[in-house]
Amino acid sequence: MTARSMVGRLCVHPIAMTVLATALAGCAGPSLVLLDDEHGGNGAVAVLETNGSAGETVVATSNTRTRLGRANPVSRPLGDGGLKDDEQALVESLPPEALRFIIYFIEGTTRPAPGSENVIEAVRGYLPFRPGAEIQVTGHTDTVGSDDDNDRLSQKRAMSVATALVEQGFDPEMLSAVGRGERELIVPTGDNVANADNRRVEIIVR
Amino acid sequence: MIRKLFLSFIAISLAALAGTTPAFAEIGRVKSTQGAVQIIRDGKAFTPTPGFKIEASDVVQTGKTGRVSMAFVDNSRFAVGPNSRISVDSFDYDRTRQTGSFVTRVERGSMAVVSGQIAKSKKDAMQVRTPSSLLGVRGTRFIVNVP
Repeated sequence: MTARSMVGRLCVHPIAMTVLATALAGCAGPSLVLLDDEHGGNGAVAVLETNGSAGETVVATSNTRTRLGRANPVSRPLGDGGLKDDEQALVESLPPEALRFIIYFIEGTTRPAPGSENVIEAVRGYLPFRPGAEIQVTGHTDTVGSDDDNDRLSQKRAMSVATALVEQGFDPEMLSAVGRGERELIVPTGDNVANADNRRVEIIVR
Repeated sequence: MIRKLFLSFIAISLAALAGTTPAFAEIGRVKSTQGAVQIIRDGKAFTPTPGFKIEASDVVQTGKTGRVSMAFVDNSRFAVGPNSRISVDSFDYDRTRQTGSFVTRVERGSMAVVSGQIAKSKKDAMQVRTPSSLLGVRGTRFIVNVP
């Protein structure tokens, strides 16, 4: 029997509990498990350095395990067993994705467009499901006007919604306001194009 | 009168909302804990509850049955398993441009990660260190085990 298969047997052989525990500990070295991105897409993680030596091994296949700590890391499929129980528990304890609520605005103003009346109540309704919630209010504009003006307008829009949230009883400790100007268009347009979908504030609940 | 007072209170609170001042130290918040969990900051240990504000260079430590989950202001999310020690070595984020860098060290234990805006902003802007390895996060969901 080679040393390698010996180790393999020790890991599964049900001898005494203490021996088994020792053997299991011996099997489990540091590792990276790459999962899908929660929406079924693939991600990637690169191993950039091992024991001080630079290199670049890109792990880009979901549901694989890569042993760390050796040169030239190799990835293996998780197989039918999938994640270990403790890993499954870890993934299940990840916080849920941030929620996003949108209020649209009348061109060039900090006045909400009709139809935004119930958004704040909808946000409030989700708070009990988000313990330790933090809310980022992010203002956006369309591409009409200069970048600087739009930075200011988007910040004002964010502040106006944050103010409304505080007036309606949200804890200021929970809130922050950010203006992104015209950097993040929902509908891509050229410069100086009015667009109702792009004039908005997003209430991000984390 | 009451309304006036209330509005001035709001004005003061809102000054803190702008988030552009250097005093904006919060990088994320604790979302859930279980068992023994400590956050160590400048040599002091805190016992976090949901909503606890995390700052750069905090160290997160869990006991034998401890677990903690966190969400960061760039939308990254972490879950830390039992017997772990994780340190946020650096976190730098421009909330207007959604760019920055984020380096976390898993000294021991286990951590599940969903990366956020920082990882998207530039190749390997988000990194995770283990005692042996340096990982560049290119998206999005993975587990690091350091038994």
